[in-house]
Amino acid sequence: MKKLNRKTLRTLHVIGKYGRWTVGIALALFLTWRIYQVLFVQQAFTPDTWLRFALSGLILGGMYALIAIGYTLVYGIMFMINFAHGEVMMIGAFCCYFIFEILRFIPAPIAGNPELVFLNAHPILSILIAFLVGMTVSGFSGYFLEKIAYRPLRHAPRLILLITAIGASIFLQNAAMLLFGPQRKNIVNPEILDRTAGWTIQVAGKPVLISYTGAFSLILSAVLMIGLYLLVQKTKLGRSMRAVAQDQDSAALMGVDVNRVVSQTFIISGILAGAAGVMWGIHMGLVNHITGSLPGIKAFTAAVLGGVGNIPGAMLGGMSLGVIESIGPALLGIDFQLKDVIAFLTLIIVLIIRPSGILGEKLTEEKL
Amino acid sequence: MKKANLISGFTSGLVTGIILVFLFLIGFIETGAGLLSKLFGDPVATNTLPKLGYVVLFLALLAVWSGASTAKKIHPERFSQIISPVLINGAVLGLVTALLALIFGNYVKAGVDVRNYLVAVSPASIKMLMLNMAEPAQAALALLGLMTAATFLGALIYFVWNRRLSVGVKRTVSSKLGTVRQSQLVDLIRRPIARYIALGGAVVLFIFLPRVWGSYWNYVMGTVGIYILLGIGLNIITGWTGQLVIGYVSFFGIGAYTFALLTAPDPHGIMMNFWLALLIAVAVSALVGFLIGLPILNLRGDYLAIVTLGFAEIVRILLKSDLLTAFTGGPRGIRDIGGPTLFGMDINSDVNFIYLIFLMVFLIAFIANRLQRSRTGRGWEAIREDQTVAKATGINTFSSKLLALTLSAAVAGLAGVLFASRNQFTGPEDHILLVSINVICLMIVGGVGNIPGIIIGALALKGLPEILREVSNFRMLAFGALLVMMMLIRPEGFLPARRPNMKNPADQDPQEKAEEGV
Repeated sequence: MKKLNRKTLRTLHVIGKYGRWTVGIALALFLTWRIYQVLFVQQAFTPDTWLRFALSGLILGGMYALIAIGYTLVYGIMFMINFAHGEVMMIGAFCCYFIFEILRFIPAPIAGNPELVFLNAHPILSILIAFLVGMTVSGFSGYFLEKIAYRPLRHAPRLILLITAIGASIFLQNAAMLLFGPQRKNIVNPEILDRTAGWTIQVAGKPVLISYTGAFSLILSAVLMIGLYLLVQKTKLGRSMRAVAQDQDSAALMGVDVNRVVSQTFIISGILAGAAGVMWGIHMGLVNHITGSLPGIKAFTAAVLGGVGNIPGAMLGGMSLGVIESIGPALLGIDFQLKDVIAFLTLIIVLIIRPSGILGEKLTEEKL
Repeated sequence: MKKANLISGFTSGLVTGIILVFLFLIGFIETGAGLLSKLFGDPVATNTLPKLGYVVLFLALLAVWSGASTAKKIHPERFSQIISPVLINGAVLGLVTALLALIFGNYVKAGVDVRNYLVAVSPASIKMLMLNMAEPAQAALALLGLMTAATFLGALIYFVWNRRLSVGVKRTVSSKLGTVRQSQLVDLIRRPIARYIALGGAVVLFIFLPRVWGSYWNYVMGTVGIYILLGIGLNIITGWTGQLVIGYVSFFGIGAYTFALLTAPDPHGIMMNFWLALLIAVAVSALVGFLIGLPILNLRGDYLAIVTLGFAEIVRILLKSDLLTAFTGGPRGIRDIGGPTLFGMDINSDVNFIYLIFLMVFLIAFIANRLQRSRTGRGWEAIREDQTVAKATGINTFSSKLLALTLSAAVAGLAGVLFASRNQFTGPEDHILLVSINVICLMIVGGVGNIPGIIIGALALKGLPEILREVSNFRMLAFGALLVMMMLIRPEGFLPARRPNMKNPADQDPQEKAEEGV
């Protein structure tokens, strides 16, 4: 009886090992068939619609990428999933709301328009203030989060750190709800960044709107990502961050102040999440206490998709997740309600077929 | 040294000040004063504010705590040492409070309603903060005085308590308690007969209590029981085998939905027998756990956590979506789920149901307990401690982990069945990610790897909030804060699991031996 049992288990092990490829190939065949159906047989959408989906996906992907970098940086250094990271992004979005609200009530009358307010008189300055405040406050939140909740647990098991992060996330979410109320708040943009305005291009005889807010978010996230990449690759801070990520103890022996580097990592990831939050506010226009939770989980998914601990991976993962999420339902011809299902299914499939993520290096079994 | 003291006074004042501002902005000062008022046997009527005295008392208590904590940090020998730090502490705290009153007082005076932005700050609560005074400046001065004095008082209380009373009393009490604990109490508890008596007492209690304490308590304790089941189940894979599962709720949801679809009249009308449907639902959950584990479990690290997290979200969204509405009832959920029957009799009154839940808890706890001590269970614990070593000693880590995940999913399915059947309703909102986060938390709070710990954790996390209904708005906030604090102060949980002693007794220090009381 016992021997038979062992044999069965052994078979299971083999199935687990090779089943991965079977599942992968079967899935790829199915997807190809389905996409062929939608694209060439049903011809459900015209090219302009596809372009619209792709654009909204890229814009969303830019924000996911910024948040995902924060997850990846922290995971690379501390091997923890910083569950409260989405809430840091929510703080950024709230900053955007409050700054715009304040500036909306500061009068800046000029001749010919006595009713003009600061927000519309100096729109670029207003947006700059919103970003500065949002990024500063989020950076500080990241710093204090680490200092209060995570630093005392530096050498604790990972499970404990995870629970702490979950606790911090619940706390921040509910604090925001109690402070500002549960209803969603409309963010009023400066007039030049009206959400319905933009450039119109003609695709196959039909107009496609590229909204100013979308273009603005996409360009800004690209700039921030390039900036971060340079910071990590070229500066001394970046070098010490990479050193700590590789081996904390050796880095400490080489004279790197580990605590300081961890703090700086949290500040940087907070700043990026804050920027993503302000962008979210400007582009989406709605904020409440749960604004951060779903983008947070998605961005974490994106980080894993690209290869956790890998910064270009997080960028690629974020972008591709955004695009998959917005094109996927149309491409497979299913309901748009299920876009989150597609996002998470992609994650699971990638993990099953290539556990180290798209750009992650081939890990040894020890590290997996 | 002295400068450091002053700085610590300043920080303490600032931190307490920030806490006070936060409490005011979320509207907790009203609630806190109301609780104090209730404590003194003077409950506040709904929609009225507590009396002024209680507000003052609440603010003063905060300041007393601040002063005492500053004094504690300094370890004073003479009282003069703590005067200036505490005064700074009080002054900073007072200034913050005064500033708060000044700012919001002027808003009220100008007739501005800030509730558009800060929902909890009503004009009445600002008036209350201003101690019912008309002028903001006057109120600010009064608050400054009050907070400084109360902080000072706090430091004084700490100093006196610490110096005069505690030294002698503490020592005698602790030494007496120590001897008792060492000699008799431990022996008494460790004897098997004590365990049987405790078990018997518990059984008698569980038979009588549900008949006495009414349907509300039956409902609460039923929820606690279901969470105990979930905790024991998750403990198999996370506590013993060491593989984190975040999306545990998906197995719970699959169990509940399978059972509901099999017994409810609405979407399919199968109306199966309770016990048969229970078995099928548990089997389906176990199968899903098995299928998820198959490709994932020969990887290490957090992959299982991430995959189950994604899977839980997928399950929830699918249950809610239009795609499956015809099959699962969609967002409206499933109604009229069947209750348990015994020999053709319905036994779904709330008293009978709680018996069923307790019975299942006993059964599963017993099985889990036996499993832990079995060869398999020891294998799991070896995997948790070190996978490579476990492999080297001949444990098939993959199949062990797969078995653990399957069993754990089966227990979650059982909990889901009981949950759906008791509520006679289940919908997508019953299976959100928060449920599994709650389960992880109760396991951690109670003590990982320990069944009594899980029971205590479930009581603390699901029972306590039901009791604290007055502060229901602040429940989740306090939950998050407590979770963080718990991890910082006592990460091993209330009742940590006893780790096997790896040391060779011959090598042990004689003193250590004596301390362990062997």
